Amino acid sequence: MTREEVYERLNGVFRDILDDDTIELHDETVADDVDGWDSFEHINLVVGVEEEFGFKIPMGKVVTMKNVGEMVDIILELGK
Amino acid sequence: MTITSSYFLLFVAIGAIVYYITPKNWQWLELLFLSLFFYYYAGTPYTVIYLAISTLTAYISTMIMQRERNRTECRRAVLQMAVFIALSVNIGLWFILKGRDIWSFFVRGMQEHFYIPQVDTLLNVQLISALGMGYYTLQIIGYIVDCYWETARPQKNPFKLFLFTVYFPQLTTGPISRYDQLKVLYDKHKFNYQNIAFGAQRILWGFVKKIVLAERVGILVSAIVNSPETYTGFYSWIAILLYPLQMYADFSGCMDIVLGVSELFDIRLAENFRNPFFARTSQEFWQRWHITLGAWAKDYVLYPLLKTSPIIKIGKLCRKRFGKKAGKFLVNALGMFVLWLVMGIWHGGLKYIVGVSLWYWMILMLGDLSAPFFKKVTLFLHMKTDSFSWRIFQSGRTYLIYAVGAAFFNQGVYKGMAMLLDACQVISRKNYANPWIFFDGSILTTGITYRDINIILFTTLLLIIVGCLREKYGCARIWIKNQSFLFRWFIWIGLFVFVLIYGEYGPGYSAAEFIYQGF
Repeated sequence: MTREEVYERLNGVFRDILDDDTIELHDETVADDVDGWDSFEHINLVVGVEEEFGFKIPMGKVVTMKNVGEMVDIILELGK
Repeated sequence: MTITSSYFLLFVAIGAIVYYITPKNWQWLELLFLSLFFYYYAGTPYTVIYLAISTLTAYISTMIMQRERNRTECRRAVLQMAVFIALSVNIGLWFILKGRDIWSFFVRGMQEHFYIPQVDTLLNVQLISALGMGYYTLQIIGYIVDCYWETARPQKNPFKLFLFTVYFPQLTTGPISRYDQLKVLYDKHKFNYQNIAFGAQRILWGFVKKIVLAERVGILVSAIVNSPETYTGFYSWIAILLYPLQMYADFSGCMDIVLGVSELFDIRLAENFRNPFFARTSQEFWQRWHITLGAWAKDYVLYPLLKTSPIIKIGKLCRKRFGKKAGKFLVNALGMFVLWLVMGIWHGGLKYIVGVSLWYWMILMLGDLSAPFFKKVTLFLHMKTDSFSWRIFQSGRTYLIYAVGAAFFNQGVYKGMAMLLDACQVISRKNYANPWIFFDGSILTTGITYRDINIILFTTLLLIIVGCLREKYGCARIWIKNQSFLFRWFIWIGLFVFVLIYGEYGPGYSAAEFIYQGF
């Protein structure tokens, strides 16, 4: 899986869950940059990502990830 | 020894001086010694055993986890067992001692049906809980879970871990710190004038809030709450609307003292308040009020809960059945319900669960449900939602919603409800309104004087100004620091004299306990 592929699928998950087709994620994107990404949606997004990629993200990573870049790193690592 | 007493200030001053002349490697030991000294004089000394038990269970369990992880084949079951036992001991101990109100309610109910005489004896045993048990228990739980999640490395020195539990400034009222944030306790700390100045300024500001403002508002609120049959109508409004101010001045004032004291030792603690009354929605309010409790509950209760497979399954089922939006809302409501329930239980009483948690949960859910509707209305009416007047309206509404819950918090469900109904009668019942109480001096029968009222108004104005500075610059002290020398000193000396003259302290007067000290 390349970084670009992860981004493509991740955009899909975010657009679906947050109901916003204009979302375009980057490495530096943080919750404040995306409308509707609050602390509650954060966990919905994590669950959505888990479903999309088919693995569980450890809780430690869920509470410490700082931006989308880190989320992608985690996905790439877990998807190896 | 309360943290508003002169003994405490003397203790802190001597402690800080010794701290900076102690060899740097021993500084943490001095903090541990200070904390135990504080505990000895502030609490019931032998109850320190509970803190030791909590620390020990955390220490043993995290050491077991670490040893297991170092094995070539890590057994997950061992890790889970270690966490489970450590959490059970800590939660169990807390629940027996602090959750008495809750369990005794159910046990009494059981006794009515299946009477067991021995249980009566059990109910009558008065156990003394440890000081700050609600706070340090959450910290220890956080630490154990962090080690399990591998977001923190276990502390190998049990005495250092003990310092994390017992660190004196935050022991009695929080903030609830994460282990990662408090690791600075073990670092070497150099003397820095800035820390001393900022710390002292913050303590002073805390004193203004607590002994000038909260104590005075308290006179008015308690008089009304204690005799609701004498004080009716607009008096009820006064008590309902002023209690949040009293609570804020009390709790956040206490936090200012705690954070200021900690800053003297070069240890930054997490902020617990961020101008809560500037919040425009209830949701935002709870991100600004008692922040560390909310954040704790989010990370250690809400997130793990919503990530469990039963909840994920329920979520899928709901989305299938009721559609995407409604399905999401239902799971959201369920998660929030558990979160609020846990926070209610943490406060240790049924009134907090029923009156406070349920109320805020309901309001937040209604807010969620009605948000799209109100958005349409404001768009339709072309309202300027960014205008100052609209913001004031929103903040006022949020304050009122909070005030209703705070009435339950303060008086319990029945009395709180009675007062709210009484306040409503000002509008609904003919000739019930008594607006003259504001002008004819009858308000003075509550024990408050006109001088007190003026001081309340002036200090509230100060609070608003500082709030605005904080919104704009992040911290009022930084703004003041950049002002001219004369103006700066005028402010600080002025505040100091203000507290000396108008503070409620001295012989024959003992400041009321902090509202949030009991948890």
